[in-house]
Amino acid sequence: MMRRLYVSQDTTARAVGADRLAKAWEKERDVEIVRTSSRGAFYLEPLVETDGPHGRIGWPNAAEPDLPRILRGEGGTPIDKIPFLARQTRVTFANAGVTRPLSLEDYRSHGGFAGLDAALRLAPEKIIEEMLVSKLRGRGGAAFPVGRKWQAAYETHADRKYVVANADEGDAGTYCDRMVMEGEPFRLIEGMLIAAYAIGATRGYIYCRYEYPAAARALWEAITILTEAGYLGEGALGRNARAGGGFTLEVFVGAGSYVCGEETALLQSLEGKRGMVQPKPPYPAVSGLYGKPTLISNVLTFATVPSILARGGAWHASLGTEHSKGTIALQIGGRVKQPGLAEVPFGLTLEEAIEEFGGGMATGARFKAVQVGGPLGSLFTKAGLKTRICYDEFARAGAILGHGGIVVFDQETDMVELARHFMAFTADESCGACTPCRVGSVRAREILDGFAQGRGRPGDLDLLADLGETMKQASLCGLGQRAPYPVLTAIEHFRKEFK
Amino acid sequence: MSRITGILKRTEGCQPNILKTLLAIQSELGHVPPASVPEIARALGVTDAEVAGVLSGYPDLRTEAPGRHVVRVCQGESCVANHCGRVLKEIEKKLGVGLGETTRDGRFTLEKVYCVGNCAASPTVMIGEDVYGRVAPETVGTLLKDCR
Repeated sequence: MMRRLYVSQDTTARAVGADRLAKAWEKERDVEIVRTSSRGAFYLEPLVETDGPHGRIGWPNAAEPDLPRILRGEGGTPIDKIPFLARQTRVTFANAGVTRPLSLEDYRSHGGFAGLDAALRLAPEKIIEEMLVSKLRGRGGAAFPVGRKWQAAYETHADRKYVVANADEGDAGTYCDRMVMEGEPFRLIEGMLIAAYAIGATRGYIYCRYEYPAAARALWEAITILTEAGYLGEGALGRNARAGGGFTLEVFVGAGSYVCGEETALLQSLEGKRGMVQPKPPYPAVSGLYGKPTLISNVLTFATVPSILARGGAWHASLGTEHSKGTIALQIGGRVKQPGLAEVPFGLTLEEAIEEFGGGMATGARFKAVQVGGPLGSLFTKAGLKTRICYDEFARAGAILGHGGIVVFDQETDMVELARHFMAFTADESCGACTPCRVGSVRAREILDGFAQGRGRPGDLDLLADLGETMKQASLCGLGQRAPYPVLTAIEHFRKEFK
Repeated sequence: MSRITGILKRTEGCQPNILKTLLAIQSELGHVPPASVPEIARALGVTDAEVAGVLSGYPDLRTEAPGRHVVRVCQGESCVANHCGRVLKEIEKKLGVGLGETTRDGRFTLEKVYCVGNCAASPTVMIGEDVYGRVAPETVGTLLKDCR
């Protein structure tokens, strides 16, 4: 009897041996290897699954000699009984680990294009209304209300409009966009198609970072498949002739600049220029790529759109807290037992995220601090773990959720070195358009270099605080405005280490 | 006709895009020779300064040919939390070069990278386009040995 084994082809699954298993086992008689996306329970990868009578059965951390055991059905765990997964509310990642990334058939049979079909039955104004009702906020970091962006782009008249997906997922500690692009690229493109129809755009780009070669390849293949199937290309949009001039989509690969994740710098880069931040207004929705109205959002934001259209804006607004609607894709990592992606409605505490999903600290590690929101986020200590994960509580704590990255540090972490690391990153990545960030980050790094070498001077901490305040107030974009936070929160919580 | 001239010929008729052009050159040659800046500028109808500005503005654009294998050690937060410094130190010791340097036999170039999205399996090392997770100082040797 032919036995089907599901093995993920996600980059992280491959990085811990999934390819090796697939290659070794595909030669076996009566074994069919099916490469799927990943569940996001990365601590279990390589995770091998088979079909059971009541759903999939999984063999976590599988190795080559496990094959006979797996084929006999010994020792597997029903996937839906794994607490890490069972406690989640999977919406955007509902098919993660289930479907083949580039199978249109799998996508359709798992709810794909329900959002686009619903959208194409509505007038553009009605789609935008659904987006406003959904209260979806941009998932890239700035958390701007998405419906308002769509409205602005819709209301601006122009001979050409663009839809751009920001796939420059540069916040260290995050990978949810990569998972979407590698695992279900059709979902991202469906979201972009809905946006294109709503605002009247005919061209689009996915700006993918250089460090994600597998994602870029998956996107190109997905675009080819959807073009052949009549969803993309000139003429019909989403196979609907009524919907105007069609939608042509391209992947554009960046070249390793973090600041290109900032929307105006990204659009400069897309035009082929140096990625320099531009003052706003004008906002991209009014004047963006080549001076035309451009709807730009991050990958996860677009990937959230299909379910909103399929299930209604009110459904989306029923999830989460008062000002943070829907689900958030937390990417929990660092020194925890169970690093992985947890999609949950907004509102759980940081502690719950770390304990219930992260599984607590890794063996031998003791909690020291947690960084939320990437290199521009803030550090929390034990005292801050009751903070609820939603935009308003984080804003009150002077922090940001950013792109949903949660990185836990252990007792061996040197906070001076960590602060220096953060500021060195900003000094490396500052585009130089504004002085506070360009000069401030270098000066701050120099001061932190001093502490790291044990030659901090009296007054240096005050100088850092002052410099940080200037950067926060006067920088042109989020990079300079937010860069002082990890450093200042490190000093606030671990002052004794700075000497 | 030089290889660069050939690549530039292919971009004729398209909307001029400096970054895309430089990446196309790099993907064929492995790097963008600074001496080719004036030729690129002429072909795209832009100034030398604009091309040089793009070339220096992106960390992943190279002006020198790298070694046969580019080894990039991730310095993202999750890797830092998982003490990637120890992995880096071991690789430096094994290769006898520091960050940004190429081994004398031209086999390896060692670099850092800020996050490759493999944060759930830190520490991460990328060799060429291949990503390796849960790398420990003890497993570094095996990774490098496979690179001829």
